[in-house]
Amino acid sequence: MIKIVKRDQPSRAIFFFTPVLAIFLTLVAGGLIFFILGFKPFEALKFFFIVPIADKYGFSELLLKATPLCLIAIGLSFCFKSNNWNIGAEGQLTFGAIVSGGVALLFYEQEGFYILPIVILAGAIGGMLYASIPAILKTYFNTNEILVSLMLVYVSKLILDYLVVGPWSNPEGFNFPETRQFSDSAKLPLLFEGLRIHAGIFLALAAVVISWFVFYKTYLGFQMKVSGFSLKTAKYAGYKGKKMIILVFLISGACAGLAGVGEITGPIGQLHREISPDYGFTAIIVAFLGRLHPVGIIFASLVVAITYLGAETAQIFMQIPKYTGQVFQGMILFFLLASDYLLFFKFKFIGSKK
Amino acid sequence: MNTNLKISNVTKIYPGCVANDNVSLEFNSGKIYALLGENGAGKSTLVKILSGVIIPDEGEIYLNKNNLKLNSPLDAKKNDIGMVFQHFNLFETLSVFENLIIDSDEQRESLREKIDSIMKKYNFSIDLDIPVLNLSAGQKQKVEIIRCLIRNPKVLIMDEPTSVLTEQETSELFLSLKKFSEEGILIIYITHKLKEVMQLCDEVAVMRRGKLVSVSEIKNENIESLANKMVGQNLKTIKKKKAKNSSDQLIKITNLNFTSEDPFETNLMDINFSVNRGECLGIAGISGNGQSELFQVLSGEIISDKNCIEFNNNYIGDLNPQERREYLMAFSPEDRLEQAAIPQMKIFENVALNNFKSSNFFNNGLINENKIKEHSKKIISDFNVNTDNIELKSQFLSGGNLQKLIIGRELITSPDLLICFNPTWGLDVGAINYIHETLIKINEQNKSIILISTDTDELLKLSDKISVIHKGKLSKIMNAEEVTSEKLGILMGGAN
Ligand SMILES: Nc1ncnc2c1ncn2[C@@H]1O[C@H](COP(=O)(O)OP(=O)(O)OP(=O)(O)O)[C@@H](O)[C@H]1O
Ligand SMILES: [Mg+2]
Repeated sequence: MIKIVKRDQPSRAIFFFTPVLAIFLTLVAGGLIFFILGFKPFEALKFFFIVPIADKYGFSELLLKATPLCLIAIGLSFCFKSNNWNIGAEGQLTFGAIVSGGVALLFYEQEGFYILPIVILAGAIGGMLYASIPAILKTYFNTNEILVSLMLVYVSKLILDYLVVGPWSNPEGFNFPETRQFSDSAKLPLLFEGLRIHAGIFLALAAVVISWFVFYKTYLGFQMKVSGFSLKTAKYAGYKGKKMIILVFLISGACAGLAGVGEITGPIGQLHREISPDYGFTAIIVAFLGRLHPVGIIFASLVVAITYLGAETAQIFMQIPKYTGQVFQGMILFFLLASDYLLFFKFKFIGSKK
Repeated sequence: MNTNLKISNVTKIYPGCVANDNVSLEFNSGKIYALLGENGAGKSTLVKILSGVIIPDEGEIYLNKNNLKLNSPLDAKKNDIGMVFQHFNLFETLSVFENLIIDSDEQRESLREKIDSIMKKYNFSIDLDIPVLNLSAGQKQKVEIIRCLIRNPKVLIMDEPTSVLTEQETSELFLSLKKFSEEGILIIYITHKLKEVMQLCDEVAVMRRGKLVSVSEIKNENIESLANKMVGQNLKTIKKKKAKNSSDQLIKITNLNFTSEDPFETNLMDINFSVNRGECLGIAGISGNGQSELFQVLSGEIISDKNCIEFNNNYIGDLNPQERREYLMAFSPEDRLEQAAIPQMKIFENVALNNFKSSNFFNNGLINENKIKEHSKKIISDFNVNTDNIELKSQFLSGGNLQKLIIGRELITSPDLLICFNPTWGLDVGAINYIHETLIKINEQNKSIILISTDTDELLKLSDKISVIHKGKLSKIMNAEEVTSEKLGILMGGAN
C-alpha cells in the first residue's frame, strides 16, 4: 500500500528535482494532447522540441529568445524572493523599449560609439521609472502591487501603439505602424554573420552574475532577504524595509527595460507594435521554474525558449496554431506547482507487515 | 467512562538529534498530568505525535487499548484527542464563530447551540460574532479550547498554555481544566512553571534529552525536587547584590508620548524615567498595557522626538535600531518568531540580524560569513543552545532554544544598555538561572538593563528600581527593596 506522509522538513534535493519532473510531465501531457489531436506523439514532440534547435540557426534563435526571458526572470527573482509580486514586467519591458527607442530615434542620422550606451541606459531607466509606480503606490498608499503592475502593462502597450501610429511613425513609412530604422550606432551588434543572436546576451549573463553576487554575498542582498521574509524583523534589525521594496522593483524594472532594449535594438532596429511576444509574462514561469536561483534561471529560460520556437515549427510543419506554445508554458507552470507537493509530502510504501 | 492513553516505545529521530528516545507512558482520565523537561527535551515532539502532527519513527499509541494510527491532525481529532498549541492557530479576521466551525461538518445551527451550551457550562463569555483580532490572549485561548470541546474530546493536551496569559487568566484556565478533569477528560499539560505544576497537576512526568526519566505523584514532590529532576542537578539560588549607588546617568527619557494609529495598540502617555550605569530598571505590568509599544520606542522601531531620549549625552530619539546599536544599545524583543528572528533562515543568518559594528559581520557591504559563523558558534556554546549545527533553520530549534539564541545574540556583544522584554519566556529553570546570572553580571560590569517583564518574581529578583506600566502610563519609580509582589499586583491592576 502507498501512503502519503508529511516530511519533517522540505527536502532540498526535491527542491531542485521538481522542475525537472515538471518538464518531464509536460512532455508526457503534451504528447498525449498531440495524440488526441491525431498526431504521432513522438514525432510531434520532435518537431516541437528538437527540430527547432537542430541547426546553428535554430540554436541562435534559441539564445535570442532565451535572452530576454533570462534577463527579466533575474530581475523578477529579486521581487519574488522578497515577496513583492511584480507581474507587470511586460509593461516595464514595453516602457523601457519606448524610452530607449525614443532616444535612438533622436540619434537616427548620427553615428558614434557613445550612442549605444545611452540608448541602453535609457531603456533601463524607462523600465525603472515604470516599475517605480507600483512600488511607490505599494509602500506609501498600501495598494496591491499585483493589480497595479498588471494594469500598467496595458497602459504601456497603448502608449506604444499611439506613438508608433502617431507622432513617432516613420514619415516615409506609408503609414505602417512602425518608426524609422535606428542608426547602426544605436543597435546592439550581431555576434555572427547571418545569425540573429546579438550582444544582448551579454547583458543577460552580466545580470546573472551580478544578481548572484548581490543576493548571496552582500549586506544589501541580506537586507532584501530579511525584508522579504518579515518587515517586522527588518524594522527590528533597523533596515529600511520600504526602501528595500522600492529597490527590488527598480532592479526588476531595469532588467525588464534592458530586455526591451534588446528586442528593439537587436535584429529589428525599430519600434513597432508588437515588440514582445509576452516575454514579460512568460518570464514569471521562467523565474519559478528556475527556483529563483540565477543558475536555475539560465536553464529554465532555455527550456521555455524552446516552446516559442517549437510553436513556430509546429505551425509550419503540422498546421497547428502557434498558441500551443502557450499551452506548453502553462503546463510547465501547472506541473511545477503540482509537483511542489512533493516538497512537503512523501510517498511511503508500506508492506504487508503490520 | 474511563479513558486510558498509552504511549508505547515511541522514538523520533531528527538528523543530529534524538527528540524522543523510546518513551513509554500511561495516562488515565480523572487526573491532570504535567509533562516537564528542559528546553529541547522533546515534550512538544511527544505531544505533537499524540496529535498527529508528527509521525514517530517507531512506537505505538493506544487509546482504551485500541492501537491508533495517527497520520494527520485530523486522525487525532477523529480519535477524540484535542490539542491547544502554544501559538494560536486562529484566523484573526474571521469571527469567533467562523473560527470554531471551520473544521467541522455539522450544521451551523446545531453547532451554535452546542457552543452556547459549552460556554454556559464552563462560564466562558465570548462574543461569537466579533473578529478574533479583538480578543485578548486569554479569550483566544478559550476559543481554541472550545474548538477542541466541540468534538467531545477524551484527551486534551496543552503545550505551554500560560506563557501568554495574565495571572487572572491563568487561574481562570486552571478552574476550567479542573472541571474538565472532573468530567473525565484526560489532561496533559506542558509548562516550565513549576509553581503551576504544584497548583494544578496530580502526576508529573519528566523528560531529559528525549528520554523519560521519572513519573511521580505531585504529593511526593516540591518545586526544588522537580527542578532537580529536570536539570539533573541542584540549582544554585542566585541573588543579586545591591548595586552601588551610582549616579552616573546613562539613559533619560523625557516627556515621551506615542499615539498609535492602530486601535489595537496602546498609547504611551508622558513617560519619564532615567537609568544609571550599573542599574537594572524593571518595568512590571499585565501584558497588553503598552509594554510592546514602550519596547519599540526604546529600540527605535518607533521613532520619537529626538530630544525625548538622551543616551550617554546624545539625543537619539529619532534614530532607528541599527543606528542605536552604534551607541551600544541591544534589544531583545518578546516575539521571537515574528520579530526577533526569521524562522525560515538559518541560525547564523539570524545571528547577523544584530549587527554591532565591532562584530564585523559586514565589511564594505559584503557579508563576512566566517565571522558570523564563528560568532554563532560562540553563542551556541556559551548559551547552551542544544545544537551544533549553525546551518540549521531556526524553526527547528525548540521554543526555548530559539529564545536562548536570541538573548545570547544580544548579550554577547556586551552592550552598555540592554533592553529586554520577557527574556526568559518559555525557558526551563536551568536556562532561566543562566540568563538571570548573566543579567546580574552585566550590572556588575557597570552596564545597565531595562527589563520589561510580566513575571513579578523575575523583576523582584533582578531589578534595582521598579516601575509599573498600566494603560500606557508608568507609575512612579520605586526602589526595589520597598516593593513587594503584593504591592506590584495592586499597581498592575491600576490602583494608585
Ligand atoms: N524538524 C526538525 N529537525 C531537526 N531537529 C528538530 C526538528 N524538530 C525538532 N527538533 C529538535 O528536537 C528536539 C526536541 O524539540 P521539542 O520541540 O520537542 O523540545 P521541547 O521539549 O518542547 O522544548 P521547549 O521547552 O524549548 O519547547 C530539539 O532539540 C529540537 O531542536
Ligand atoms: Mg516546546
